[in-house]
Amino acid sequence: MSSSRRSRQASSSSRISDDQITDLISKLRQSIPEIRQNRRSNTVSASKVLQETCNYIRNLNKEADDLSDRLTQLLESIDPNSPQAAVIRSLING
Amino acid sequence: MASADKLINTDVPEKDVFAFHFLQSLSNLRKQNPFDTPDQKNYRVRKIKKAAYVSMARAAGGSSRLWSRALLRRADKDDNKIVRFSRRKWKISSKRRRSNQRAPVVEEAAERLRNLVPGGGGMETSKLMEETAHYIKCLSMQVKVMQCLVDGLSPK
Repeated sequence: MSSSRRSRQASSSSRISDDQITDLISKLRQSIPEIRQNRRSNTVSASKVLQETCNYIRNLNKEADDLSDRLTQLLESIDPNSPQAAVIRSLING
Repeated sequence: MASADKLINTDVPEKDVFAFHFLQSLSNLRKQNPFDTPDQKNYRVRKIKKAAYVSMARAAGGSSRLWSRALLRRADKDDNKIVRFSRRKWKISSKRRRSNQRAPVVEEAAERLRNLVPGGGGMETSKLMEETAHYIKCLSMQVKVMQCLVDGLSPK
């Protein structure tokens, strides 16, 4: 009931407290500008921010998938005498 | 000297360092496995994807981060196997859920995040947040560099 009892409970388990998690989540939001949103309300729920973060990571993984796919195709199709091949050589050797 | 270098692990990962590692891996892949053989395309896509993630972990300072250490360890283990960056599924046990009456929704969201961040399964929540922030920065950087490569290689 009382807040002191709640905080004792939180510290007795090894888990972090509500305040700490809020603080950490706000830090996380600051470091990722892309998921910073709902500026008007400072109290975006913690679970919402975590969910957004998960989606953001999934999207990045998906992009890396697609780009790997395209890179494979490009490297396969490249003509060794083309300017693109020269670009790769200079990048790899340079 | 080497240890001093390690300490200078700037928070923002260097694009050049990543690009250097990645291009070297691509060059090695080409030597091992010339790209003009028509078969095993998916295998090569996975190899390239793996090279990207491993290069990202190296660019981030290798073992100085929990996520990069976990990623490199898993990549080592997966060598000679088909590479899949599958995430270990973490079940939230009912016991664990009951022991945490504070905010089960938050805990569930955090568990989902643990599945996405390499090594996240073993992290306490505060560490998870810190590693997640860094992991996302590196991942964005990786995607940007890969996009540049694709753009640069695409026929004009």
